[in-house]
Amino acid sequence: MSSLVGFFSLVFAIGINFYLFLSRYIFKFQKQKFNLFIRLSSLLTLLSFFSLMYAYVVSDFSNYNVFQNSHSNKPLIYKISGTWGNHEGSMLLWLSILSIFSFFFSFTKNIDAGFQRLTLIIQSLLHILFGLFIIFTSNPFLVNSILINEGLGLNPILQDPGLAVHPPILYAGYVGYSIVFSIAIAGLFQNTDDEWLYVAKKWSMISWTFLTGGIALGSYWAYYELGWGGWWFWDPVENISLMPWIAGLALVHSLMMVRGEQAIKKWIVFLSILCFSLSVFGTFLVRSGILTSVHSFAADASRGIFILLIFFIVTGFGFLVFLLKEPNKSNPLNLLFINKVSALVINNILMIIATLTILLGTIYPIIIEVLYNKRISVGGPYFNATVIPIMIPGFLLMSIAPILSWQTNKINNSKKYVLAFIILSVLVLIQSYFLDFNTWGFVGLLLGFWIILASIIAIFSSYKIKINIKFFKIINPHVAHIGVGIAIVGITCSSVFQNELDFNLSEGDKFNINGKTVLFEKIETTNQTNFQSLRGKFLFDIEKNQSKEIEAGKNYYPVSKMITSEAGILHQWNKDIYFILGDQKDNEWFVKVLINPFVSFIWLGVIIMIYSGLIAVTRR
Amino acid sequence: MSLRFQRLLLILLTLVIILSAVLLILYNTRENVSYFYTPSEIDKLDIVINETIRIGGFVENDSFNKISSNSFKFKITDEKASILVTFNGILPDLFREGQGAVIEGAFVNKDIFNATNVFAKHDENYMPASIKEDLKNTGYWNKKYK
Repeated sequence: MSSLVGFFSLVFAIGINFYLFLSRYIFKFQKQKFNLFIRLSSLLTLLSFFSLMYAYVVSDFSNYNVFQNSHSNKPLIYKISGTWGNHEGSMLLWLSILSIFSFFFSFTKNIDAGFQRLTLIIQSLLHILFGLFIIFTSNPFLVNSILINEGLGLNPILQDPGLAVHPPILYAGYVGYSIVFSIAIAGLFQNTDDEWLYVAKKWSMISWTFLTGGIALGSYWAYYELGWGGWWFWDPVENISLMPWIAGLALVHSLMMVRGEQAIKKWIVFLSILCFSLSVFGTFLVRSGILTSVHSFAADASRGIFILLIFFIVTGFGFLVFLLKEPNKSNPLNLLFINKVSALVINNILMIIATLTILLGTIYPIIIEVLYNKRISVGGPYFNATVIPIMIPGFLLMSIAPILSWQTNKINNSKKYVLAFIILSVLVLIQSYFLDFNTWGFVGLLLGFWIILASIIAIFSSYKIKINIKFFKIINPHVAHIGVGIAIVGITCSSVFQNELDFNLSEGDKFNINGKTVLFEKIETTNQTNFQSLRGKFLFDIEKNQSKEIEAGKNYYPVSKMITSEAGILHQWNKDIYFILGDQKDNEWFVKVLINPFVSFIWLGVIIMIYSGLIAVTRR
Repeated sequence: MSLRFQRLLLILLTLVIILSAVLLILYNTRENVSYFYTPSEIDKLDIVINETIRIGGFVENDSFNKISSNSFKFKITDEKASILVTFNGILPDLFREGQGAVIEGAFVNKDIFNATNVFAKHDENYMPASIKEDLKNTGYWNKKYK
C-alpha cells in the first residue's frame, strides 16, 4: 500500500514539474499560483520519500527494496536510516532534498518575480531528469511478487548513528548546489541587475556548510568504525566529495568580491555551474561502479549511463548557456600586489588547481585503463604530495587576507605580523628540535599556528571588541580561518606524529603506554539484539583511582554473516588512544594501539567552520 | 611600484604556481602510482623485487595459515596461478578463504610477496570492478557477485 502511495506521488510530482516547465511557454502563470504548484510538487516528493520510510519502519517486506535492505529485528534508527542506505532510496533522498530546496527558494522575498520563476523552472527541469532516472532505473517501490516474511538486512557497517545522518547532510550539500546552479543560469538569462549574486551567496553558503558537516561526519565515522586509525584515506568517494567542497569554497570567496563592487560575474557563474557539475559527476562515478569504493552500492551499467547522460545534459546545458550568454560588463578588477582582490584571485586559482589535481588523481586510473588496458591505483601519497604543497601559499595568505584593503596595497600593522611570524617560526623550530624533526610536521604546525595567531592579532588590532551579533558578523571571516588553523594543527599532529604500538597479550597481562600502565582485563562475549559482540576490556592507567575502561573488539551480524571491527577509543583533549583488537592464537591476542595526538582539534576546527558558515547565512 | 609592475608580478606569481602544480603532478604520478595485476599476469611478468604493486584475486581455499596472532600466510589466486603472501598486522574483517581481496606490497624474493596492506571489500558479494573482467574471462565468475 505504502509503495503504491509512494510511487504515485513520485510520478505525480514529476508530472507537475513537466506541467510547470511547459507552462512557461504555453500559458502565463500568476506568481502565486506558480509557487503553489512548486510547493505542491515538493510536498508530493516528500510524501513519496516518507512512504518509503514508512515501509522501512513497519518492515513491509512486500516492497522489494525493503526486503533487500532491511530486517525486522534491526533497531528503529537503522530501519529509518535504511531508507537511504541503498542505491534506490538514496536517489529518492537526493530528489527529496532537491525539492526541499525548491520549496524554500519559492519563499524568498525581495527578488524579481520573473527571476525567481526562471530559477524554479530550471529546478523543475532537474527534478524531471532525476525523477525519470529514479522511475526508470532505480525504482524503490517495486513490489515482490511472492509473500516474504523476512528481509535480507542492512549492511552492518552502515549500522551506526554517525552514518545514519551522514548521507542526508552530505546530500543537502551536494543538492544545495543545484539551486546555486539554477540561480546562476537564471541570472545569465535575465541579466537584470546584480540582485542574483546576493541570493547566490546565501545559498552557496548554506550548501557549503552542509557539505562540510557531511564530509566531517563521514570521516569521523571512518575514524572510529573502520578501525584503521585514520580519518581520511583519499578513497575515490572522499575525493569526489572534496572536489565540490573546494570549488564551493572558491565560490563562497569569489562571491565576497561582490561587496567590493567588482563582481567577476563570469567567474562566479562558471564556479556555480562547476560546483553542481562536480556534484552530479560524483554521483555518476559512485553509482556507476566505475570506481571501486566502500560506497558503491551496486554496479549496474544502465544506471551509470543514465546518470552520465544527466551529467552531460546538466553540464553541457550549463556551460553552453555560460558561453552564449555573457553577463553584463562588470567593472575592471582593481588588481594590486597585494590587496584583497588579488588575494582572492590567488585563492581561487589555488583552489581550482587543487580541485583539478584531485580530479586527475581520481580519474587517472580510469583513463589509463581505457588507453593502455593497464590497471593502476593512485594512492594517498600522490594526493598528499600534490594537493598539500599547492595549498601552502593559500594557507600563508589566508591569515591576513580578510584585513587587506580593497583599494590600496598597504597593510595596517604590517610590522606586527612580520614580528609575529618570525617569533612563531623560532618557537616551532625549537619545539620540533626537541621532538623528532619532520619537515611536514614543521610546515604544518607553523602554518596552522600562524593562521590562528595572525587572525587573532587581526581581530584585536582592527576592530573594537563588542559583544553583539554585528561584531560576530564582522569578525566571522577571521573566526572561520581560525577554525582552519586549528584543523591544520590537528591534521598535522595526528598524521605526522602518530605513534603505533603492537602487543601480544593474554588476559590479565599488564603493559605500558606512554608511561601509563594498562591492564588487559578480559575477553567478553555477549548477545545483542541483532549482533553478537566480542570485546577485549582494558583498564587504562590502573595506578590511579580513576582508571578508564576501554573496550575494543568485533561484532558479528548473523543476518548478513558479517564481522565489523569496533575500535576502542579513549578521548583526551590532547590525544586519542586508539585500541584495535586483532586476531588470537593460543590465547594470545594481538592488540594494536595507536596514539593520535590532537585529533580533537580537527573536529573542533570543523565545528568552528560550520559555526561561521551559519553566522554568514544569518541576516544582519 | 607602478600599477603595471604590480600586475606583472601577480601574473608571474600565478604562472609560477601553475607551473609548480604541473611539475608536482608529473613527478607524483611517476612516483606514487602502483600497478595492479592478477596472479596470472604476474606469472608472465619479470618480477622486480621491492617494487610496490597491487595484486587482486581470491584467497585460495585451504591456504590460510596463522603463524602467530599477527602474522599470516596465505595464497592469492585467480585459478590459473597463485602467489604466496605473507602479512603482518590485522586482517580486514571480511578477509576469508574464497573471498576476493586486493593486496598491496612487494616481492621480497622470487616466490614470496610481502603485503603491507590487505583490502577486502565491505560486501561479501562485492567484487572490485578492476578484477571483474579477468574473472569473467577465466570463468571463475560467480553470479552472486555484484
